[in-house]
Amino acid sequence: MLLALILLHMLLAAVAPFVGRRWGRATLLFCGIAPLATVVWAATRMEGVVGGAAETSSLPWIPDLGLSIDLRMDAFALLMVALVAGIGVLVFVYAYAYFGDRTDLGKFAGTLVAFAGAMLGLVLADNLLALYLFWELTSVTSYLLIGFEDRKPAARAAALQALFITGVGGLAMLGGFVILGGQAGTFQMSALLSDPPAGTLTNFALVLVLLGALTKSAQVPFHSWLPGAMAAPTPVSAYLHSATMVKAGVYLIARFAPAFAEAPVWRPVAITAGLATMLIGGLRAMRQHDLKLLLAHGTTSQLGFLIVLLGLGLPEATMAGCVMLLAHGFFKASLFMVVGIVDHQAHTRDFRRLDRLGMSSPWRPTMAVTAVAAASMAGVPLLFGFIAKESAYEALVHGGTGGADRWILAGVVVGSMLTFAYSGRLIRGLVSPASAREDTVSAAPAPKRLFLGPAVVLAAISILLGVLPGLLSDFVSAAAGSLDPSAEPVHLALWHGFGTALWLSVATLAVGGLLVVGWKRVEAGQSLTPSWLPSADAGYLDVLKGINRLADRTVAVFQSGSLPAYIGTILFTLMALPGYILVRDTELPELPPVASSATQLVVAVLVFGAAVGAARVTQRIHAVLFLGAVGYGMALLFVLHGAPDLALTQVLIETLSVAIFVLVLRRLPASAARSPWRLGQLVRGAFAVGTGLFVTVFALVASAARTEDPISTGFLERALPEGGGRNVVNVILVDFRGIDTVGEITVLAVAAVGIVSLARAARDAIVGRPEGEDS
Amino acid sequence: MQRSVILDVGARVLFHSVLAGSLFLLFAGHNRPGGGFIGGLVAAGGFGLRYLAGGVSDLRSASRFHPWTFLSTGLFLAVGTSTAALFLGGQVLESGKIEMDLPLLGHLKATSALPFDIGVYLVVVGLMLMALDALGEEADQGEHIEETAT
Amino acid sequence: MTLALALLAGGLFSAGTWLLLQRRLTQIIIGLGLLGHGANLVLLLAGGSPGAPPLVGEATPDPAVTADPLPQALALTAIVITFGITAFLLSLAYRSWVLTRDDEVEDDLEDRYIARRGYRDDELSDEQAAQLEREREEAGQ
Repeated sequence: MLLALILLHMLLAAVAPFVGRRWGRATLLFCGIAPLATVVWAATRMEGVVGGAAETSSLPWIPDLGLSIDLRMDAFALLMVALVAGIGVLVFVYAYAYFGDRTDLGKFAGTLVAFAGAMLGLVLADNLLALYLFWELTSVTSYLLIGFEDRKPAARAAALQALFITGVGGLAMLGGFVILGGQAGTFQMSALLSDPPAGTLTNFALVLVLLGALTKSAQVPFHSWLPGAMAAPTPVSAYLHSATMVKAGVYLIARFAPAFAEAPVWRPVAITAGLATMLIGGLRAMRQHDLKLLLAHGTTSQLGFLIVLLGLGLPEATMAGCVMLLAHGFFKASLFMVVGIVDHQAHTRDFRRLDRLGMSSPWRPTMAVTAVAAASMAGVPLLFGFIAKESAYEALVHGGTGGADRWILAGVVVGSMLTFAYSGRLIRGLVSPASAREDTVSAAPAPKRLFLGPAVVLAAISILLGVLPGLLSDFVSAAAGSLDPSAEPVHLALWHGFGTALWLSVATLAVGGLLVVGWKRVEAGQSLTPSWLPSADAGYLDVLKGINRLADRTVAVFQSGSLPAYIGTILFTLMALPGYILVRDTELPELPPVASSATQLVVAVLVFGAAVGAARVTQRIHAVLFLGAVGYGMALLFVLHGAPDLALTQVLIETLSVAIFVLVLRRLPASAARSPWRLGQLVRGAFAVGTGLFVTVFALVASAARTEDPISTGFLERALPEGGGRNVVNVILVDFRGIDTVGEITVLAVAAVGIVSLARAARDAIVGRPEGEDS
Repeated sequence: MQRSVILDVGARVLFHSVLAGSLFLLFAGHNRPGGGFIGGLVAAGGFGLRYLAGGVSDLRSASRFHPWTFLSTGLFLAVGTSTAALFLGGQVLESGKIEMDLPLLGHLKATSALPFDIGVYLVVVGLMLMALDALGEEADQGEHIEETAT
Repeated sequence: MTLALALLAGGLFSAGTWLLLQRRLTQIIIGLGLLGHGANLVLLLAGGSPGAPPLVGEATPDPAVTADPLPQALALTAIVITFGITAFLLSLAYRSWVLTRDDEVEDDLEDRYIARRGYRDDELSDEQAAQLEREREEAGQ
């Protein structure tokens, strides 16, 4: 069933572009069937999964590589499915209202549902390699979604940046997975995590895996792609930033942390990156005027928070992380939806141009939703975000990492203050007067019900779970328990009593409030940031430039455009690598007799003379005749060797070759002027002598190195009984090694087709160019 | 273009005996020197003779079929024979043998290697025909244009 | 295996390589032909000593006095393939003659250009345009 749901997504993705032409934006609702079905099915399985019975299904794919599509839905996966599919349904509805009728919506809907399916597969995969597959699938589909407005350079650049950064991280992660799988002897995630390997190699693998997760979740210093990704249409941003894509990295870290947090590399890397991201993202958000950009930086900040909580690998923090994961999904999706509404109705997202838009009466419902969602993000009591933040403080106060506890807690508290501050900035931006002098917008048509609906649903959930968090206790406990069996079940409640956590919450609200009041000063203070500080954008551009320069250099060296240079490279490699090994590792065998018969010696000398002649003469036709002489001489040598078939073939081929040569050569100038004897010719000569020497030595060594009985002994015995023929060479050609012969005559056929097409092209050129016939 | 009568007649006479010889080499190839490659090359030589004597037009009149018909038939035959064993439950290129005693014809024996070798033969002939046809024709036409131009 | 044949193989390869490194297509084709002969010879040499033709008579032939048939089969296909390639290359030379009245293989101009100037990269100009736009927006109004 799990597999069927993923396939349903992919099926709809394949169909959508075709029905899209006729159905227009209704295709979006049609594609919403897939996440809807997922939600319904997951709801029916909820009881069992929360009770501890994971749903599994398995499909062997490449058994030899240990690759099978193992799917497994435990409670944590169920939590992710709820986010991915639940918010997915709302996003499809929202997108339906967001887009006018466009002709390319079929393509869009298809990509979006494929993305949802890939994300679903990612959180359900129980095999590391399958997980990687879905991981990259989300990268590719998100590339298409971010670059949907492909005529805008900014969208193209943002799409590429997202693909590039997450793709590099993904490759590193694959390397890590392969090492881990090798260390543990299995690629099955549940088995690997219940019995984790350890050691230097494992640590190295963990760094690689973290690299994948941190790039995907846009952690410092890989965070620059996420603000850029808001070039995507807003429904995509809402989905990408709240429930999917960036949550993939968080998901992976959550899975791995309980098993690997004690590894010496894990916490220093994950927690440092998380804290830095939380603070930098918060600060950056405080100076944005674009509402969507403000939210995007807010997302990086919140992701840092999630990485800290879930990356610690401590049972209590894991529990808090699960709550936060849900809370963030709800408020961030609704906030993006609201900002999309503003953008759609007022045609700007820059709040300097919005003149008290949120205060006008038709916009009151929208504003209420915004306020609820932003307050939940800020951690205001009676909302779900508060519950999450409280349990996070609670967990961090208890700590468990030793000396770092205090620093982590301090970082998270400061980060939360910033979160409060930019949440307030968002609200203030919507309700305060415009600061721009021109192009201000003071009134805009309020959104239709369906447009606002999905955001209302999410805001309502934030309120419901904020007031009655106990509803989620079992679910969250089970989710955390499936990550870390040592996690104690919790009872989520609004009131935890007086404690350090509560006081920290109060401090957060107070300081955050002050920051909101003095928002202009905070903004101004940030412009004092010295310009020499490295910026992630500039860094990315430098990397891009560097890669391009490297590519240009490589091309300049290896693709010079000169045929002799290419052949020279190949020959040089031949002499340098196999030649070196030949000289180093083998002793020259005893020299064989000079010749087996006087005839052989004479023929060999003649053939050699003809070869030299072919190389040295300037008249083309003479060279061809010398080549023919070499061929006939070779035929003689074959006869002496006991190979009548070869000799016959050689004679015939030589005759036919000369005929075809003549057909072409009669057109060409008779004499090929000899190149002057310069450095280039000297180098050519050196290559020629070197290659010849290599071949001679190789032939001597190879024939002396024969130790086993040749396999052809068997051919001699089996030719008549099995192949039904007495000419063993022919039996080999048509029977024992027949598949080679099939390949060979295919080459002949291709060559024949090539000859005819080249000659036809040439004839057309003659007919089209009568003055060319003057030669 | 001048045509030598002796060469012309000689080529026509020789052509058929060369073809017969090539067929002999083809069929005998399983048991003595010869085979599809060698037979095909001999036949190709025969066609080359016709070309030398009478140019492309004579070459074309020498066979009723297009050059690429030889090529494709040969390829089809070889690939078909080699995969036929698959459908009969054997492995690729597994050689099949049919032996039967018929009342009038006596003992009959055929291996699947023979059609395979015939395929090889046809491909080689097709290649040579196509090369002569393509490269030779241009030259003839070119000469023709030259002649009319001068 | 004799010294004469080993040296001959080397000699064929030398002459072939020399021609292969030239700039005229006909020279390259002839060079390729010489290389083919050399390779066939090496194949045969690696297959052991000469002997009687590998034909099955009344009794199974004695491997000790029979030439190894496998290298022969390999060489036979190699000969025919070389023929096909030669014919193909000759038609290339023919086409080259039609276009340039010569059969010289010239350097690829576009490759030369890229080597000198670098390749114009769309992704780079996109990213620069996007960053410029962002800066303008942040500073704007």
